[in-house]
Formats: sequence, C-alpha cells, structure tokens
Amino acid sequence: MTIEQLAAAVLDACEKESVDHMLTGAFAHGLYGIPRSTKDVDVVLSLASGDPIDRVVRRLAGVVQFEEQVQFDTLTWGKRLVGESTAQPPFKVELFELFDDPFVQSQFNRRRRIFSTQIQRETWLPAPEDVVVQKLRWGRSKDLDDARDVLAVQGPETLDMTYIEHWCAIHGTLPRLRDALAGIPPLD
Amino acid sequence: MNPPDPDLAAAELKAMQDSIYREKILRARRQTPEERLADVFELTNTVFTRMHEGAMWQAGITDETEGWEIVRKRLARLRLVHDAGRFASHPPAAV
Repeated sequence: MTIEQLAAAVLDACEKESVDHMLTGAFAHGLYGIPRSTKDVDVVLSLASGDPIDRVVRRLAGVVQFEEQVQFDTLTWGKRLVGESTAQPPFKVELFELFDDPFVQSQFNRRRRIFSTQIQRETWLPAPEDVVVQKLRWGRSKDLDDARDVLAVQGPETLDMTYIEHWCAIHGTLPRLRDALAGIPPLD
Repeated sequence: MNPPDPDLAAAELKAMQDSIYREKILRARRQTPEERLADVFELTNTVFTRMHEGAMWQAGITDETEGWEIVRKRLARLRLVHDAGRFASHPPAAV
C-alpha cells in the first residue's frame, strides 16, 4: 500500500460516513511549505455528525487497525485515536476530533478544498495561516521548522499576518513567531 | 599553525546552512501547491522503502515481513520519543 492509497481510503471513509473533515499534519505543511516525508495520515473530524471517530473506524475495518484507547493532547485536551495500516508499510492514521477550542474551530471553518492528483479527489486542507499558528502552538522542534518553512515559502507579504499575530498573542507564541521570521534567510 | 577561529568557523557554517535552506525555499516557491503535495506522497513512499531496505540489510535477512517488523519497532520507539508528555490517556477532571 502507498501513503496515497491509505489517505484515499481514510478520506473515502469520511465521505461515505458524511463526516466533515480536514487533512492536516505533513500534508498541510507540504502544501504550503517545503515538502517532507511523513509517517502518518492525520485527519480532523467534525463532531457535527455524531460519533465521527467510531463511524470512520468501523468504515476502515480491514484497512486500518485502531488502538482501543483514545488519547488526549495535553496542550488542548483534544481527543486522538491512532491506528496502523494492516498492509505494509506500517503507516499510521491519526483521527482527531474537532472540539470547541476557538482556534481549532477557526482553522476548521477556514479550510480549503484542494484537488490532489495522487489521491484522485478533492480534499479539505487548512489555510496556510492556520498551519503556521498550529505549528507554533505545538512548538516541538519539528513544528517550529514547519512554521518557518510555510512563512518562508509563502512569504509573510502574501499571508494574513494580522490573523497569525492575533492567534499567536492568544496562545502566547509571539516570540516563536518572531524567531521563525528571523530564521528566514535573505532570498535575493 | 594557528588554531581555527571558532567565530569565523561558526559564521561560515551559518552561511552554508542559510544557502542550503535558501535553495530549498526557492525550489518550493517554484512548485505549485499540488506539486508540493505530490512530493509529500513520493518522499514518504521512498523513505519507507529505504527504511525497509536498510533494516533488512542491517539485520542480514531476506524475509520482507521480518524487515517490516523491524521498521515497525523502530518507528514505535521514535513515536515514544516524539510524543513524550504530549498525550495522556485521560483528560484532567475539570475538562
């Protein structure tokens, strides 16, 4: 199985269960930043349709084996369920439940529909500003590099920096934003 | 012979890092969003193939299933490191 076949299966499951969703993680970063490899397919699921994780998990039976125990992100306490593809390679699938964190809601509401040739369908992905805010909020070394990449490739002049600064101020991550911008080398 | 100037060496290293990073940025800027997304898929599939080949070579085995099991274990260890402290099995009582 390829990563695009797995992504397609996960997105199909969401569509068939009428669960509003958004592809995130390395796919969102790669769309706007410097492409890198990933180990998983990360998808945010809307709660509007009721028990979205259970339904998507059932739909993926045979393709992805999910853990029994959900986990909670200690930053926002959002819920995550991790699974692994039953076919090789052992790619992971992470399902995140959309919850009532104001930024997470804003990010989901601003998502964009983009066509991918590799998975032969349109899919929902976050806006670049939201990838930057999210990565700065999570703040691991890799996340900070990802945020800087998106700022560098898109160019701050093309991004809604007021929106980014607004959320960074709320999250207390303005120093990280300043560091990320300072880390972009001169491009001329 | 004088010992190398550490400040000069650091400045040269930083200039080289910036140059490499600048090339990556400019290459990504020349791509369309769809092309960048396609690269994520291609890089991922290639990296997993290389990890598998490397694990089999290192272990001196020819059984592909066994090779994937080594890759799985290595990725599980990496995941423990990357996720350390970031996830809990229960939310706090107040949430």
